[in-house]
Amino acid sequence: MQPQPAYLLHKQPYRETSALVELLTLEHGRVRAVAQGVQRPSSRSRARLQPFAPLHVTWVGEGDLKRLRLMETHGSAAMLAGEGLLCGFYANELLTRVLPLLYPVREVFAFYAAVLDALPRPEARAPALRRLEVAVLEALDAEPRFCDLNDAELDPHRRYVYRAEAHRFEALDVGAGGGLDGRTLRLLAQGDWAAPGLAGPAKVLTRAALAPLLGNTPLRSRDLMQRLAARRRGN
Amino acid sequence: MSFSPLVDRLLEALRVLPGVGPKTAQRMALHLLERDRDGGRRLAEVMARALEEVGYCRRCRTLTEEEVCELCRSARRDERLLCVVESPADMLAIEDAGGYRGQYFVLHGHLSPLDGIGPEDIGLDQLAARLDEGGIEEVILATNPTVEGEATAHYIAAQLEGSDVRLSRLAYGVPMGGELEYVDGGTLSRAFNGRLPFSTE
Repeated sequence: MQPQPAYLLHKQPYRETSALVELLTLEHGRVRAVAQGVQRPSSRSRARLQPFAPLHVTWVGEGDLKRLRLMETHGSAAMLAGEGLLCGFYANELLTRVLPLLYPVREVFAFYAAVLDALPRPEARAPALRRLEVAVLEALDAEPRFCDLNDAELDPHRRYVYRAEAHRFEALDVGAGGGLDGRTLRLLAQGDWAAPGLAGPAKVLTRAALAPLLGNTPLRSRDLMQRLAARRRGN
Repeated sequence: MSFSPLVDRLLEALRVLPGVGPKTAQRMALHLLERDRDGGRRLAEVMARALEEVGYCRRCRTLTEEEVCELCRSARRDERLLCVVESPADMLAIEDAGGYRGQYFVLHGHLSPLDGIGPEDIGLDQLAARLDEGGIEEVILATNPTVEGEATAHYIAAQLEGSDVRLSRLAYGVPMGGELEYVDGGTLSRAFNGRLPFSTE
């Protein structure tokens, strides 16, 4: 096979000197593989096989668990630190949790690469993560349709809650608080996920849409970020 | 053919050790039984005692059978310096390298959300308590230069925000005797960013 562009999502030590890895690849989506010998102290791949580094890989094997063969880096890993690093963990955890194995998701790969570019810049993080989340939802046919439960257009003067199981919005009673307002949703419908002022609603919406895909186990990296934020406020 | 039940159990027990497969286990067991029973008895005795008695030091969390380890009790160590490491092996490596005269704190792991390892699993509350006791002027974050080590350092740094403890992180660099051509790109670019003024001394 031709070497595949890939990113390492997660690495776990396996036996003495090997590792179990999860990769996001351009043409094959999420791939799980054994990387033999990479945990050896003398292994040159040990330092190269790191999350957030652009890789080229090949593998062999028929089943769900492949054997990683060739692994090269091209360019160096995004230099992530602090908050950006935690956002990177979030992206990795999200993809390992919701993407099925060997399900091709080219758009997700592209948006993931864009997230890595954006992470070192604090103001670019949230929009890039939202675009990735939307790409994931689209790849899994779970993206929100911007209409109400009866397929009618959203009214800019009403408020709505997202019904993830129907992929549509339910109108709240006139005058009721909470939910998202129709005007904002119409802006989001135009694909303007990065527009200023929409960051909050966009996050609420993608989170609601991802919730059924994640099931009952919360994302640990999100939990970690929230605890860190809480600790900061405490100081 | 298989050995008697007890010998088989010994073979199986030996395989809990890292790097020991069936063949190695057999070689070890036969060696102990046929050639060195005294050594085997000594091994069994020491192992039983160590597993029973060795715990974590109350101050630095390194492995010790004492309440507070020797290094923490030592009057010759600088109590104003605290070096945070991921494992007792890292602590030993820094001690062997020499030059550091302060104290340690061992996390026994790193933050790894994807493996479900959070702050409470690596003793960060205990670290905070240790810092609250006061007297520490500099915390050296010597977690590994991996993404998890970096995240751990970030979390500890956030914990310390607002206190007047000085924080430092181990530098990234090119290995001694290394050739730039063979250094991986990530290390090289970080070494570049962290370059130091040339000193003629």
